[in-house]
Amino acid sequence: MTADRWRLIAGSLLALWLVLPLVPLAIWSFAHGWRFPDLLPRDWSLRAWTHVLTPGSGVLESLGLTALVAGLTTILAVLVGLPAGRALGLHDFRGKRLVLLVLLAPAIVPAIAVVPGLHGVFLRLGLTGTIPGVVLAHLIPVIPYMTLVLAATFAGFDTTHEDQARSLGAGPWAVFRHVTLPAILPGLLTGALFAFLVSWSQYLLTLAIGGGKVQTLPLALYSYAAAGRNDLAGATAILCILPGFLVLALVARRLTGRHPSVIGGIAR
Amino acid sequence: MTGLVLAGLSSTHPGASRPTIFSLDLAVPAGSLTALLGPSGAGKTTVMRLIAGLIAPDAGDIRLGGRSILALPPERRGVVMVFQNALLFPHLTLAENVGFGLRMRGLGPAEIATQVEAMLGRVQLDGLGARRPSALSGGQAQRGALARALVLKPDLLLLDEPLSNLDASLRDEMRQLIRDLQRDTGTTMLVVTHDQAEAVALADRIALLLDGRLAQEATPWEIYRRPATVAVARFFGGVNFLPGRRVGGAFDCALGRVPLPTQAAEGKGGDPASGPAVLTIRPEAIRLGPAGDGHEARVLATAFLGTQGRVELGLGDLRLVALTTPEVAGGLIPGAAVTVSLPAEALWVIPDPEGKALTDRGA
Amino acid sequence: MFLAPAVLLLGGLFLAAIGLGLLRSLRYMPAIGLTRPDLAAYAAILTAPGFLASVGLSLWIAGVSTLISTTLALGAALLLRHSFPGRGTIGLLFQLNLTVPHAVGALGILYLFSQSGGFARLAHAAGLIAVPAEFPALTHDPYAIGIILQYVWKEVPFVGLILLATLQTIAPGHEAAARSLGASPWQTFAHVLLPMLLPGLVAAAALVFAFALGAYEIPLLLGAHAPEALPVLAWRSFTDVDLYTRPEAYAMAMVIALIGLALVGLHAWLVLPKRGRDDR
Repeated sequence: MTADRWRLIAGSLLALWLVLPLVPLAIWSFAHGWRFPDLLPRDWSLRAWTHVLTPGSGVLESLGLTALVAGLTTILAVLVGLPAGRALGLHDFRGKRLVLLVLLAPAIVPAIAVVPGLHGVFLRLGLTGTIPGVVLAHLIPVIPYMTLVLAATFAGFDTTHEDQARSLGAGPWAVFRHVTLPAILPGLLTGALFAFLVSWSQYLLTLAIGGGKVQTLPLALYSYAAAGRNDLAGATAILCILPGFLVLALVARRLTGRHPSVIGGIAR
Repeated sequence: MTGLVLAGLSSTHPGASRPTIFSLDLAVPAGSLTALLGPSGAGKTTVMRLIAGLIAPDAGDIRLGGRSILALPPERRGVVMVFQNALLFPHLTLAENVGFGLRMRGLGPAEIATQVEAMLGRVQLDGLGARRPSALSGGQAQRGALARALVLKPDLLLLDEPLSNLDASLRDEMRQLIRDLQRDTGTTMLVVTHDQAEAVALADRIALLLDGRLAQEATPWEIYRRPATVAVARFFGGVNFLPGRRVGGAFDCALGRVPLPTQAAEGKGGDPASGPAVLTIRPEAIRLGPAGDGHEARVLATAFLGTQGRVELGLGDLRLVALTTPEVAGGLIPGAAVTVSLPAEALWVIPDPEGKALTDRGA
Repeated sequence: MFLAPAVLLLGGLFLAAIGLGLLRSLRYMPAIGLTRPDLAAYAAILTAPGFLASVGLSLWIAGVSTLISTTLALGAALLLRHSFPGRGTIGLLFQLNLTVPHAVGALGILYLFSQSGGFARLAHAAGLIAVPAEFPALTHDPYAIGIILQYVWKEVPFVGLILLATLQTIAPGHEAAARSLGASPWQTFAHVLLPMLLPGLVAAAALVFAFALGAYEIPLLLGAHAPEALPVLAWRSFTDVDLYTRPEAYAMAMVIALIGLALVGLHAWLVLPKRGRDDR
């Protein structure tokens, strides 16, 4: 019985710690000034929220832009990662380890190492300050995760089902739609979730390549914080985490560590 | 040493409506090789985990060498398990694996090395001590797991389906090895399996578990020739059951009054002298031949089974199955008449006071 | 080939970026008249005290964060293995934590631990301090405590979930075997569980270290002004108006890339299937 008691105490502390940093953000978003040493704001207000949620203040636009960029990044990552993941998951070939290394490196090497050079390259290509440029930049950390998750998914996929479908008269596209896709859907959704969240949380890449013209939510958050507008920052922060919660709720059970070697740095 | 005793053991799987095992009484004699046999779901794995101390029973006691081990944690029970898939620790070499238990006991490295080497030799794995488990074949890993357990000289060795992961050729070797090791070390062994052929070939005694209860506990020969219930007989491939009444030293059934040998004693329960019962005979015990004393039958079908021939016989409304040599079976044509004799010493009567034995699924 | 689009796109972008960075770090920038590559930029940064101090600070941050978060993650995974009331909630909180961007977490940590933040106010309410300055500097401080707290906050769930996966799939059988062979619970942990977890643990630690070393937005918000964390210093150099010091910014990026690649190597060595395992 006492072992269970200890677990409960430790668990509660852990839970508290996990939730704690989000609490002041929430409180700030409803505060009309909140000075030291008040434990709670003296004046409450919905001002921050009305500002943030009014189109034209820039925050909703940032939200939409962040979603757009993340969405585009995810779609591209799927298009590129699906065939690559399939090749890696199903086949063994010479140089496979090298390919895996090439895929792993961009996800682990910090963005700051890549950003100066990337900026130079994109400047030449006219991609700086554009949405496509930011999307391409986001693909650098995103493609590795998508590919590796899909590789793990395909590794557990039995291709004889596809052969069976072909021999029953289904063409390649039908086979994909009716046999392959349903089978890999869990892994695909997990990878897409990772991809979306990684892109959603990007700061430096967006800052460097977007050059101030592509104002995603994390950047908006920091500009409010830097300006000392803690109420707006709080509201923006809450807005920033809600989609993540939503998407997680939709694919709830996928993240319980089914691909341990790949669960890395989501929402970095 | 009195060996292992399970007394009134009961356990229910969490969330199950019925107990997994119910009031199980079993005695495994010290120094014997007993098989705990049963179909999947019968509760064998549960019994094993109870004995090993990995789960606790709802009721009952477990005694080893006369004293109860129920309150002891797994590592202090003197019971060592060998698992179906060897489970050698992947991060240790074979020698380190075999020496693991000795190391946990605090023995010195020199002493451990000596014992490990001797044990590896016993299981024919000499020279492989430095290998990692991933570099061993299935059979080698299994032997390694055996060595790892036996080097500790356990009071009881539990083997979980030791042969099921091996192909046929290796199975024979492993079976022989287990028997030899048991004989040489005198370790009390309990082998858990669902394969009746494996149990029969391996064990001194078989404890058959059906639906969480002990159906019969006897030597392999006894279980074949003197099954306690119809369910037990069926589990071992018995198919010939004739309902009727036992009257004194004979059996009244569709074949008439069949005389019983004096040793055709009782099965489980019921009045041995008379009453409703089921007569059974093993397929391989039925004799087929031309005229003689016996019963007239028609051949319904024959089948070639490799080392045996199977003959389906019809006697009036009765169906019997006989196993004979392929030659004899091959010489019979469906539809032909043949004389069937049921040797008295092969007959066995199972009392059936409620008349339900042939319709009930269970014991 | 199926792999071509992914590899080309990713490899192309990555290598182009690194390649250009390398060239320019060697002071090859024709646009401003530098046409002879040399190592002057590297010499400059290695002799400037600011750079070395930043490297030291970032290594400190990365090291401490990795150590603390992997240890706590191990504890959390061991805790969450067994059923207890509330375990489902904590599992959910772990997963929710993974979806929170670092920027948001960093801001939350700032509001909690700054000298006028939540904990400071609690201290005031408890009568321990009278003015913000009396509360210990946990953010923007020389030991980067706030930064480390943020990394720990995010990485414990990440590493924890990885470890939990191993504990729930591979470990139970071996644990039963060890107990059966006479190992006590502690011995089982030390001699069987921990060695089995170690490769995955170190691989995850490599990822955590790389991130804690090179992330920009966290030290931007929570870091002190001198010395700056390495990524902050590098970005500031890069956006410096003086183009002639630009190669130094590229040189810093290259140094970070080098450390990053070393960590990639470590992670890959631990995680990728070894060749030769399959020929038996």
